[in-house]
Amino acid sequence: MNIKQAIKNKRLYFDGGAGTLLQTMGLKGGERAETWNITNPEKIIKMHKDYLLAGADILTTNTFGASVEKFPNYEEIIVSAINCAKKAVEGFKDKYIAFDVGPSGRLLKPLGDFEFEDAVEYFAKSIRVAAKNGVDLILIETMSDAYETKAAVIAAKENSDLPIFVTNVFDEQSKMMTGGSPLAMVAMLESLGVDAIGINCSLGPDKMMPTIKEYIKYASVPMIINPNAGLPEVKDGKAFFNIDADEFSDYMREIANLGGCILGGCCGTTPEYIKKTVEKTSDIAYKYPENKNLTVVSSYTHGVLIGEKPQLIGERINPTGKKKLKEALRNNDLNYILNEGITQAETGVAILDVNVGLPEIDEVKMMKEVVFSLQSVTDTPLQIDTSDPKALEVALRIYNGKPLVNSVNGKKESVEAVFPLVKKYGGTVIALTLDENGIPDNADDRVKIAEKIINKAKEYGIDKKDIVVDPLAMTVSSDTTNALVTLESIRKIRELGVYTSLGVSNISFGLPNRPAINSTFFSIAMENGLNLAIMNPFSKEMNDAYYAFCAVKNLDSNCSEFIRYSTENIQEEKTVSKKQEMDLHRSIVKGVKDSAVKQAEKLLESEKPLDIINNHIIPALNEIGDDFEKQKAFLPQLLLSAEAASAAFDLLKTKMNTADSDTSRTVVLATVKGDIHDIGKNIVKVLLESYGFKVFDLGKDVPPETIVQCAVENNCKLVGLSALMTTTVPSMEDTIKLLKKTDNSIKVIVGGAVLTEDYAKMINADYYGADAMDTVRIAESFYGK
Amino acid sequence: MSEIVTGSIKAEKIEINKNELARRLKTKVDFSLDEIDSCKDELLKVINYKFAYKKVSVDLSEKDYVNLGFCNVKSKNLYKNLQGCNSAIILAVTAGIGVDRLLGRLNMLSQSKHFITDALSSAAVESFCDYVNQAIDDKYETKPRFSPGYGDLPLEIQPDILKLLSADKTLGITLNNSLLMTPVKSITAIIGVQNEY
Repeated sequence: MNIKQAIKNKRLYFDGGAGTLLQTMGLKGGERAETWNITNPEKIIKMHKDYLLAGADILTTNTFGASVEKFPNYEEIIVSAINCAKKAVEGFKDKYIAFDVGPSGRLLKPLGDFEFEDAVEYFAKSIRVAAKNGVDLILIETMSDAYETKAAVIAAKENSDLPIFVTNVFDEQSKMMTGGSPLAMVAMLESLGVDAIGINCSLGPDKMMPTIKEYIKYASVPMIINPNAGLPEVKDGKAFFNIDADEFSDYMREIANLGGCILGGCCGTTPEYIKKTVEKTSDIAYKYPENKNLTVVSSYTHGVLIGEKPQLIGERINPTGKKKLKEALRNNDLNYILNEGITQAETGVAILDVNVGLPEIDEVKMMKEVVFSLQSVTDTPLQIDTSDPKALEVALRIYNGKPLVNSVNGKKESVEAVFPLVKKYGGTVIALTLDENGIPDNADDRVKIAEKIINKAKEYGIDKKDIVVDPLAMTVSSDTTNALVTLESIRKIRELGVYTSLGVSNISFGLPNRPAINSTFFSIAMENGLNLAIMNPFSKEMNDAYYAFCAVKNLDSNCSEFIRYSTENIQEEKTVSKKQEMDLHRSIVKGVKDSAVKQAEKLLESEKPLDIINNHIIPALNEIGDDFEKQKAFLPQLLLSAEAASAAFDLLKTKMNTADSDTSRTVVLATVKGDIHDIGKNIVKVLLESYGFKVFDLGKDVPPETIVQCAVENNCKLVGLSALMTTTVPSMEDTIKLLKKTDNSIKVIVGGAVLTEDYAKMINADYYGADAMDTVRIAESFYGK
Repeated sequence: MSEIVTGSIKAEKIEINKNELARRLKTKVDFSLDEIDSCKDELLKVINYKFAYKKVSVDLSEKDYVNLGFCNVKSKNLYKNLQGCNSAIILAVTAGIGVDRLLGRLNMLSQSKHFITDALSSAAVESFCDYVNQAIDDKYETKPRFSPGYGDLPLEIQPDILKLLSADKTLGITLNNSLLMTPVKSITAIIGVQNEY
């Protein structure tokens, strides 16, 4: 019987800790336990056998750190470890060997520097060896980061057909090291098709209780619990764990009663702990977890439950009808896109839609970049919105969690493209009620398409709970029965036992005063059972409708969300009106961005953009710049002023004739190769932009060739280089050499903590920028102002 | 053998040293600005201070070499710093990964907020380190703390220090290829112990 069948019928037991046990057998501190697979196999076999005799059903191979980075002979170590386990189970019946996969010890990008694909390959190397050598399952354990866990699971799925078990590490607050919650992990791992999930290490069984309860509440697959023998303490110079086998097994009995399906131990536990655990839990009736039927999407920190309380999806990252976003996509202006993401997330939407499809750009590449970058600046779950299966696949692969997928429809082609990807990478899918014959004009036929898609999903092994149906909102301007058909469809689709979603604002296309129609339709749709609304989170009317609906439908206890929402908006209006009293000059000197933009707008009624810049913005910047140089103002104020000026600039630029705007004042900026500090460079950038310079910002750790190429391509004669570490000054020197060799008329400003005037001369820089303001003065004089 | 002492402190409990802050903001001391206050409020929400330390023996028998048991490192500066010490506290503290995420977000949103928050969080973790250092000083007569990368003490001992403290598990600290720590606002240090009170 394979382990997937076994766990359907009975509680299974893992073995316990290895480290402490092997130390009592003579493993020295600092010696790696994995080497014993080769040097002391008889001792490893004995340890395994002791656990089997204690009642363990599943042995974990002694391969926790057996990876390519730690052992050049990792293959030999893995094969030996598996052989030890095989020897141990000889003569026993119904025992299973789990290939043990521990964490890499490295943190994945964007927080760390380990590439996701490199992490997948890192795990794949070991898993391939294990799969070839006959184990019963793969146990991915002691993972404290969601992204690394996903990389390991993908590696397991791509390199074997074995069952996959996963256990993560949580602290007493039920948070993983990088912030993941139990619901987030349950959602992601179940969706990836992991066969059993749970927790191990770090805490004793007592402190694990809150996390266990969360798992049991949400999980539809069996839960694994492998606690430590409490916490380590030192007594009389000896380290020991503070929960003994008796106390441990009492807790394990409690855990079995809660619904724990696979029990074992981690650090500090011994065969005695397992033996007592087996004894004390064998009389507790076993129950396989029921399907919780939860529809969830998640990020790396939290899950969003879709259900009776409607949830909002921010629609702003979608180029349809948005000129600025189109421009940003064409110019690869990630900053603009990320800003759209962050500001929407700050309004409190539950999910962000991500659509970067434009005919003239490489959608696959852009999608990958945007998803990666968005999840480094916001933990709001994402909705991957694309019709290109390739773009969908890259996004699903690198997404850190369980995404919402927008969308599949009733067409054969769509089903065949989308469902295999969702099966592999996980996700909840929006199903549009259209097929080869278009969008039906009546509710019943839309419901039929929904049913067809749900059945198709089942064929691919995708549960109904992971389908959300969008019955499509069509504008009432073309047919005034459209809204009624959509509403009827929502009601009938909900009767199928699935949730619904709508792109709400489509309803008013072609009409004036769209917010009025949108918000009214939105309220009625929610009343008819709408669960997810793709909408503009900056629309007051839509937010009003949403928060008021939740308040009156008893979906907002004490109306607290409604009160927070309403008072925040009123406060904002008040502060804005107070700040408006300042003129443009004062707004910039004081560094109040909103006010600067408003005042610039007001001035446009009477003055030309160029005059506003010369008569208001530049004098204000000079005032704060002078104050800074005289140490009457400080860097934080200078930066705030620069940002206020830049915001006013951006507005004026859109009103300027091309003849007026001076595009010749350009500067290339970069932190040199090897250096990852970019604060100083970013400050210089903000200041230069506030003075109207066009800045080509190449970022940090930039190779000399890239800098030269940018200067040449843009015919830019002024290059600013930054370095913070002494070790990267040579790289600065190399860059200057290459720049001068390529075009001797290019001038170079250098700056950064380690540089001095003399040092700058020594490496042949033309100017030394003592600080950001100084650099602006140099640039001004270079361009002859 | 000595145990690893770990713990966490609530963000509000640590007063951010105003001299440290002024130095990093490049302002005069006691400089105030609404934006600094609001950045501080946001920062305190994500800070998760944790520390771990362990006492180890110190062997200075070979000149300019400091043998700490778990590693033997050449450093004239540390050798001098630890004169008269038979043991040392190996310490690591962090302000948590939430700070990295906040800084990453602000770097996209606003350079002024990013600069201010970066300065605040650097001063914060330094102040937290002082706080833990003080608690250690209450137990032992100590030397000023010494961190890898300072003077001639190489960053290369970071992996050993973090391993000694199981810092990946206890604090969530990992190293990148350049031996820099994530969370970025983390500090490791060696504190010489002369006497136990």
